[in-house]
Amino acid sequence: MKLERLTQAVLGRPKLVIGLVAAISIFFMAQFPKITIDTDPKNMLPATSPVRQYNDKVEKDFVLHPDVIVLGIVNTEGIFNQQTLTYVKDLTNAVRQIPGVIVRDVDSLSTVENVFSKEGELIVRPALGDIPKTTEELTALRKSILDNSLFVGRFISSDGKAVAIFIPIEPAANGKEIADKIRAILPIDPGKNHFYLAGDPVARDTFGTEMFRQMGLFSPIAGLVMCIALWFMFRNVIVIVANMAAAMIGIIWSMGGLIGLGFPVHIMSSMSPVFLMAIATDAVHIFNEFAFRLREGQDKRSAILETMKVLGGPVFYSDITTAVGFAALATVTIVPVKIFGLVIAFGTLVVLLMSFTFIPALLMFIPEKHILKLASVQGKGEKFSPSLIRMGRFCVEKSKPILLVGIVLFIVAIAGLTRIHVNNNMVHWFKFNSEVRTADRVMNKYLGGTSTAYLVVQAKNDGAVGDPAFLRQIDGLQRELEKDPIIGKTFSLADYIKRTNLVMHDNVPIFNRIPDSKQEVGQYLFLLQSAAKPRHLDNVVDFSLKTANIIIQLKSWDADAMKSVIGRANSFFASHPLPEVTNFKPAGIAYFNMVWNHEVLWGMVSSFLWGLVLVLILLVFQTRSFLWGTLSFLPLLFTIALIYGVVGLIGKDFDMPVAVLSTLSLGMAIDFAIHFVGRFHQRYKEDHRKPGGDGLASDSQSHLKETLIWTIARPGKGIFLNAILFALGFAIMAFASLTPYITVGVFMAAIMVLSSIMSVIYLPALIQLWSRKLIKQTPRADRNCAGVVFVDKKGGV
Amino acid sequence: MKKILSASVIVFMLFASGFWAKNIYAQDTQSGKTVMNEMLLAYYYPQTDAKSEISMRIVNRQGQVRQRRLTMLRLNQTSGGDQFYYIYFHEPADVKGMSFLVLKHLGRDDDRWMYLPAIDLVKRISSSDKRTSFAGSDFTYEDVSGRALDEDAHELIGEESLGTYSCQVVKSTPKRPGETEFSYRKFWIDKVTHLSLKVEHYDLKGKLYKVYETQEIQTIQGTPTITKAVMKDIENERYTEIAMKNVSYNVGITSDIFQERLLRRPPRQWIGE
Repeated sequence: MKLERLTQAVLGRPKLVIGLVAAISIFFMAQFPKITIDTDPKNMLPATSPVRQYNDKVEKDFVLHPDVIVLGIVNTEGIFNQQTLTYVKDLTNAVRQIPGVIVRDVDSLSTVENVFSKEGELIVRPALGDIPKTTEELTALRKSILDNSLFVGRFISSDGKAVAIFIPIEPAANGKEIADKIRAILPIDPGKNHFYLAGDPVARDTFGTEMFRQMGLFSPIAGLVMCIALWFMFRNVIVIVANMAAAMIGIIWSMGGLIGLGFPVHIMSSMSPVFLMAIATDAVHIFNEFAFRLREGQDKRSAILETMKVLGGPVFYSDITTAVGFAALATVTIVPVKIFGLVIAFGTLVVLLMSFTFIPALLMFIPEKHILKLASVQGKGEKFSPSLIRMGRFCVEKSKPILLVGIVLFIVAIAGLTRIHVNNNMVHWFKFNSEVRTADRVMNKYLGGTSTAYLVVQAKNDGAVGDPAFLRQIDGLQRELEKDPIIGKTFSLADYIKRTNLVMHDNVPIFNRIPDSKQEVGQYLFLLQSAAKPRHLDNVVDFSLKTANIIIQLKSWDADAMKSVIGRANSFFASHPLPEVTNFKPAGIAYFNMVWNHEVLWGMVSSFLWGLVLVLILLVFQTRSFLWGTLSFLPLLFTIALIYGVVGLIGKDFDMPVAVLSTLSLGMAIDFAIHFVGRFHQRYKEDHRKPGGDGLASDSQSHLKETLIWTIARPGKGIFLNAILFALGFAIMAFASLTPYITVGVFMAAIMVLSSIMSVIYLPALIQLWSRKLIKQTPRADRNCAGVVFVDKKGGV
Repeated sequence: MKKILSASVIVFMLFASGFWAKNIYAQDTQSGKTVMNEMLLAYYYPQTDAKSEISMRIVNRQGQVRQRRLTMLRLNQTSGGDQFYYIYFHEPADVKGMSFLVLKHLGRDDDRWMYLPAIDLVKRISSSDKRTSFAGSDFTYEDVSGRALDEDAHELIGEESLGTYSCQVVKSTPKRPGETEFSYRKFWIDKVTHLSLKVEHYDLKGKLYKVYETQEIQTIQGTPTITKAVMKDIENERYTEIAMKNVSYNVGITSDIFQERLLRRPPRQWIGE
């Protein structure tokens, strides 16, 4: 194999190789200061995508701000008291001083005009002007504000217990930094008042910041756990250094390359370090085999060469399957996902390259006296754990019941799979009691909703929106939408016109409707233009009265909420067609999230399925046998089916982190099966050649059983230990404060444990069941397969 | 109350940057005040009465246009003091006949009425808010009717020439911040005509967001009169062009036409169709 020759060359000049690797690493490391971070989910879709371009156009045409922070003040005794009202006024003024805030467009009760009718007079004044001093004045203020349907659900809750200040920020501004600055000016002793900060920029940028913090915290911890595991296995510092260095080099080269090429680090690619660390554990096989060779008394150099000779195949194949799984993500249309897949695939290939060059070179530097120690750690002779022997016997003898249980589990998993709900909710990336998620929940409880969507209704001709019939149609649609409790508040030009009609007619309730003549609508519209900031009307209608925008507040960031909007709008327009309407189109952050979620998640699902097929093909190619390839593939399939079955059964959304992990599970879950099958073959053939094997059918059957029990007890032990140790390493991530990291931790642990169980318990049962066909096909000990023989992640062989 | 106070103190201390500091040191100088007063008189109070036909063109970001055409009648009670305005809209077609009556007072809220022909309704408007837009344009009500001299501190900050005009530059800072969109404005006032040629509006963080520019001055009946101007909203990429036609002074407008009941029957000798 050519890769062995590479190792041979490396061993001639180990210092040069290490120096070269270090130099390249320094080059990639030098790219790190150029890092740019992009946590804006909007960039999931390229700037040229039609959805994004249309969204930009809607925001531009209707003077809407894409990024708005909502500052909520909740007072369970009601906000109509001097203290709370003063907070509203002072905070509205104070937030306008914060850099990055779009000063003029901060909206709250103290900046919007309240137009109402009192004793025949039309009153136009700030909804909250001077703070009332008497109880009567407070009562009057309460009435004037709560009577205005334009305010209720948006600026104030209908029960008068919560108010909101809308703080638009510049597109380049960081929502978390601004949120922190707002927090800093909040009163220290606010009495019964509670303050909440919600909105897309807060969640998005808090996540972005937290993400790197958590990554910085948990990557080293996971690394440390692995170091400890390695220490117990090999008791040698250089081994630990070599393994961690291989992981680090993989991370530095791939991340440095990403940054150097000018790509921003996205939510997904930020997870690369942990993923690459998991992938780099493959190097353990090399150390294990190396120690084994040393124990046999070989010298350092030939031990390394022999190790690489037998391991070349399996290390190559297990890394290639992983790389293929991730590279399959390049088929997804979403650019950050594509980049993420390629980064990890590249990192995996770097790890692979290091396994053949850097690691052997480093092993050359283990001092002689340590080598003896390293060799002795590996113990002498075969020691079996009695419980594993018992388990092995059990597996071999009760193969049919085991398979039955497996089939039942598989059916349950399939049932779970059918219940999988594809959805992504960014707020749910925070823990239930986290500040961000609590704020979102509280705001959604009191007010119209923290997520925003737009429905843009476009007519054929200029002036059409001013037609009373058109406005009634929009009004009807809004009432239909609001039937869904998730859709909290909608507002449009129809609301403004109805409100004006009511006020012009001295609050006689019957006039809370769209007027009958176009002229009346036109004059009200004209009045509205003089009674509000021009921007507020520009938000809902264009100058030529051709296009109307319905602003929809949603109480959930689920993609389903937006689907409900679209579904209801479709059925409404189907049953109430308007000849004038040429089309209606959704936009806004909620719609945007729905679209990219759909594309990302389904894109990942399809690339994952392609990955599965590619891995199966690789396995068949590696074993040169369709049956053996399929057999090695089954534990992977079982593991994945079970994990996703559980996801479906417990009702966890199939969201972005879960989707990303599916690809990783491909590469991870396959390793144990490769090892198990390889070790089994090797043992089976070796024993077969021993004297005493007479080739009788019955003996061949018992020989098969013995070999299986041996495989379960010996390499099986290594597989279990390996699985448990690395599962523990990742399980630590369950203590992270962001749910995607918890998901990663739990998932990795589950993959390790399940795939080890599947490999050690179900493979023997399957081999037993299909023995006739399988054994006939026992693969020739070709070089691709033979290498598997001595492979084991854990020492103790 | 103590809590409220301390909270506001904290809020102000934390943001004692920018406008707050500027405010404290804003000087209300006599020279600034004089220049500004001359401008107010030249712009809002020339002669005793005036009749003009005004066209407005409001253009938004998309390049869409809204047109307005109105007749404005003005009668001064005292120079620099109370004034009467009658505003009648001719266009757009669906608002034809809408009219407004404003009795402008110094030191207290104006008296305002409006007439809506669509529902044949005269309504009194009580508004303490002058930040609202004038007829949907980028001019505010205050831009059109004027802001009282005492509401700002005026500081003459220099002299500058704009084209062929030599101007005095005055910085005006509201005495009661928070009630306006701007933290201060800068006026370029022509030394000869006392008309402002350019006004820059700075927001609460000191960023320029709106610019007014005089585009044409004509001398009508011996009175220099701005006949074309534009107000540009830089942030929202909107602008409003305003053009005055058929301006005539001292035409003999009498105070009896400034009556609420006459909104239904506009004085035809002044206001054409």
